[in-house]
Amino acid sequence: MGAEPATAEVLAVGELAPGRLALQLRAPHLIAHLRPGHALHLVRAEAGGFRLRRVAPVTMVDPLRGMVEVGLQPRADGGQDTLADIRVGEQVVVVGPIGQPIPRLARTTHLLIVCDAEGFAWVRFLASVAVAEGRSVVVIQEGQSAAELVSASLLPERVEIAMATADGSLGLHGSAADVFANYTTWAEQVVIAGSSGLLAAVTAAARRRAPVAARAAARKGATDLSWLSIIVPHEVGCGSGVCGGCSVSTRDGSLRLCREGPAIPGADATAAVGGA
Amino acid sequence: MATRQAPSSIDVAVTLGNARPLRLERPVTLASGPLGFGAEVADLVDLRTVGLFVTRGVSLAARRSGGVPRMVEVPGGLLHAVGRENPGIDAVMERHGGAWRGTPCAVALSLVAASPDEMTRLLRRAERRADALGISAYEIDLTAPADTLGGQRWERDDDAALGLIVAASDATNRPLIVKVSPQVVDIERLADQVGDAGADIISVSGSTIGFLPDRTRRRAALAAGFGELSGPLLRPLALAAVAAASLGPRGGGPSIVGGGGIGSPADALDFFAAGALAVSVGSAIWADPGLTGAIVEGARRAAASRGLTAISELSGSALATRSRRATLAR
Repeated sequence: MGAEPATAEVLAVGELAPGRLALQLRAPHLIAHLRPGHALHLVRAEAGGFRLRRVAPVTMVDPLRGMVEVGLQPRADGGQDTLADIRVGEQVVVVGPIGQPIPRLARTTHLLIVCDAEGFAWVRFLASVAVAEGRSVVVIQEGQSAAELVSASLLPERVEIAMATADGSLGLHGSAADVFANYTTWAEQVVIAGSSGLLAAVTAAARRRAPVAARAAARKGATDLSWLSIIVPHEVGCGSGVCGGCSVSTRDGSLRLCREGPAIPGADATAAVGGA
Repeated sequence: MATRQAPSSIDVAVTLGNARPLRLERPVTLASGPLGFGAEVADLVDLRTVGLFVTRGVSLAARRSGGVPRMVEVPGGLLHAVGRENPGIDAVMERHGGAWRGTPCAVALSLVAASPDEMTRLLRRAERRADALGISAYEIDLTAPADTLGGQRWERDDDAALGLIVAASDATNRPLIVKVSPQVVDIERLADQVGDAGADIISVSGSTIGFLPDRTRRRAALAAGFGELSGPLLRPLALAAVAAASLGPRGGGPSIVGGGGIGSPADALDFFAAGALAVSVGSAIWADPGLTGAIVEGARRAAASRGLTAISELSGSALATRSRRATLAR
């Protein structure tokens, strides 16, 4: 809603992260407008039953093929929904882009991304674009076990990947917040995306051990935490900012993830995720 | 045999209530919640296809809500916990009131109050500017939490709910819509009672209470824990409540608006047949902004094919062929 709906053909369906779908759509008309952080609001064109639009973050674009890839979370109960069994060749009705681009700080070259399987779809495009812009990118992934981690092949080769698993089956035996400590002297900008536990823990770690960019900013008197953004995944709602389904509390009121988000400024991170 | 009418000749307007009637140019309402407070609605839906727009819940003071997720999809429905977040009556009227005036449909303010006294103060505040802003009616949300009931819904206690309605009725001369969910224990009796308390219209379209663990089953899927359940999975339950409510009023009682999972013109016809005079559309409007127009046209054609002259004559058609009570056989 908002922008005019358009139909897009499904070119491929795959797995983006464990339990998360990737839909590749033919949507050349959208590509020029898409930036990391944008999402599409889509519904299966001919679905029966309950037709609920889903917020699907853009995970990749391929201008040569006119292709846009989006990530989809399955329904909360893990069961099938109208988009989960969609097939190649079918049509989806797409509105977008919705949301705002994730801010990328000028004059910074070191981007640290922290995510889990839930947040990966929201930052994959960011990692690719940042690398293409010549930035150095590190992605810290967190999962309960190796089975919950996203395949490294989904990120550009130049992205450095660090991993932490709660059971120690891959990477550091611990959490992303533990790994984060290794990058505090390196990172100039930090973007965290994922479940509420990850957001709270890594935000707290980031504020305790401010990365190099924060220290440099502080020397210049800045205290705005502009080096930090958090992304709260959201998947259901009107996509227009009117239903209140994706509002998060901020210092000044509330922020609608589908309109002003998905990135929440670091200064609002504590209010938004709590416990940080 | 009935004479088939031309669909274009069918009267689509309905008048809800008696003592304080509310005329709707079309028998379709946009439910409180999915489309916010009003300023943006005209960009999303053609309001010329709508009879009544009901705002999101408005309270006396600003209400903040919890974190996300606030909405998750469940089989055949939507579980949500927006918590009736709003910036308070003054801010809502200031920011959105200008958009209500001049809309091609009626506008009702949905009111959320934790006590009868708060309802009185809320309505007094709204009434000061109601004429200037073009507010046609108020919705009293009995699915909202009540302080006196320990935060449970007003509809859980008949006496408490009736006290809230009396307080509202005493504070305005505009039509009052009372919103309940199909979870009301005895809706037939409640429909009678709310009419006596001053309600003109009963909207059987509220969400029921729902809960779902997330995939890990280590926490709730919603940040708030419990949520409100809506969507097609509620439709048979909502239809039963509409049919029962239509049996309750002793003539001249509240008119019935029915809703719950309406996603097509056929769904809406079911609600008319069960006794609704108007239908309420919720989150389905996100996927199909043309739904309200399609419902009006579908009802117009259905009425025409039966030789009726007005959509309002469709109301209760499934209950009228035999003794209405025998038909339900509950």
